[in-house]
Amino acid sequence: MIGLDVGSTTAKAVRIVNGEITYEITGTHNWKDLIKGVDKEEIISTGYFRKSVPHKANVTEITAAIYGVRHCYPDADVIVDIGGQDTKVIDVTKNNFTINDKCSAGTGAFLEFVANYFKLELEELGTLHLKAKAIPEINNTCGVFAVSEMISQLVAGYSKEEVIAGMHYAFARRISFMVPEAETLVLIGGTVKNKGMVSALREIIRGKIMIPDEPQVINALGALKYYNQDIE
Amino acid sequence: MTALVPPELVFACGAEPFDVNNVIPESKRYPKSKLCAWTAIWSEMLVNKEIEIDSLIVVAGGDCHNALVDGQKVQRSGIPTHFFFYPFDGNPEYLESQLESLSGFLGGVRYPGKFREISKLKKLGKKIDEKRCNGRISPADAFRILISFSDLCGDLNKLETAISSVREQKIELNNRIALIGVPPIYSDIHEVAQELGLQVVFDELPFEFIRHSGNDIHSTARDYCGYTFARPLDFRFGFLKKELEKRKVDGVIHYTQFACHHMLEDEILRDELDCPVLTIQGDMPGKTPEQVKLRLEAFGEMIGRQP
Ligand code: SF4
Repeated sequence: MIGLDVGSTTAKAVRIVNGEITYEITGTHNWKDLIKGVDKEEIISTGYFRKSVPHKANVTEITAAIYGVRHCYPDADVIVDIGGQDTKVIDVTKNNFTINDKCSAGTGAFLEFVANYFKLELEELGTLHLKAKAIPEINNTCGVFAVSEMISQLVAGYSKEEVIAGMHYAFARRISFMVPEAETLVLIGGTVKNKGMVSALREIIRGKIMIPDEPQVINALGALKYYNQDIE
Repeated sequence: MTALVPPELVFACGAEPFDVNNVIPESKRYPKSKLCAWTAIWSEMLVNKEIEIDSLIVVAGGDCHNALVDGQKVQRSGIPTHFFFYPFDGNPEYLESQLESLSGFLGGVRYPGKFREISKLKKLGKKIDEKRCNGRISPADAFRILISFSDLCGDLNKLETAISSVREQKIELNNRIALIGVPPIYSDIHEVAQELGLQVVFDELPFEFIRHSGNDIHSTARDYCGYTFARPLDFRFGFLKKELEKRKVDGVIHYTQFACHHMLEDEILRDELDCPVLTIQGDMPGKTPEQVKLRLEAFGEMIGRQP
């Protein structure tokens, strides 16, 4: 069986072979590459496109995240899934979830604004953040306004690295508003690979933050786990 | 009318009530200046004379400040407009004086028999509500009838015919859902929820429409004082909790509307209720959007996993 997560920006496939987890990641529109030679009956899908790709069963990203995270961290209280277009906060203990998909603040798209402005690759933001010596205050959480505030801070003399760090803090603050008090939080989703953003989150959010080795494939893994528990 | 105004009084005064919200879920209009789409759309349509009315009753006090302002826009366009206020503290004398002044605006009570006639109809409404709670009527059919009780379709016979033509069915109730908050602006949310395995067994506001009645202004004032939406949150939540228990609800969908103060109640509500709560925020009218469907589906999976 394979767990297939086709999200807004990337597609991921997870297999468990002899107890070992293997995975592949590609761009959303290349999802077909992940299932070459795989029969529909072998696929459990999740993600935005879960119903439009071949599948035997499908499950929402929210449930998939719960099952995937449970595999890595059975005691997690809260899951924060920061995706390309939305952010989901799942309170596992209370069986509640909230999704922010109305505005870019607190989603991967917000950081894309920043990267685009500096003509950087998204991956570079995290490394640059770590070089910041001071952190300017950026209060706006609206993606568009934050970019103009960022420009004012550049005018005020802050360096590119520092302004990027400031943006990560603004981002982390926005996420923290969505997160309930919890002892243990697990961060997943592609954006979590950004070390600058994670260090800002660690500073702002109380509670122990854990990040799986491969945060991007947790939902694909979860889809698989969800199906397996159903047949067990 | 812009919200719940005792329709029995409107009929008794010989007028024909029309709830202007009824046209919103199917509307394709994008209003020029808007906070809440409900008030913005009816206000613009009334100003442009796209809904035919002779006069407007705006429920302002104890309900909606957007309506208070949007109602005044309509008033400025020349339509005779009356502002109706519910008492926050439930004072029956105050409500009686409000009903008296509304009656004055409508020319006084001429058909007192309408009070009792409508009381009887509301009993039929309660039957419909009961049947859907037992899975004998679909949530969508029940909602359509209950929501019509705000203006009784402007025609008591028409409503009675609509009630008697509701088809009985056998609906499996595996996830019993209460839909609370203001009514959703999506025209098909009950159907969509049902397709995703969630059966709405309680519609909070429409239930208020069938719950209150009276035989004259005096008794109507005493009964409508318990209109939960106009009262303090403790009063409303106290009532809600009993209703949720009675209906053996598995989960609550809290519908909120963009730019509506009721959104602020979400946090308190989550503290108060001890069942899973899904909050949905709508903005523009139309069919239930995909993002909302995702939430409903995930909510269904979540409730399904509960022991
Ligand atoms: S949804 Fe809120 S703001 Fe809109 S009409 Fe209703 S009470 Fe007023």
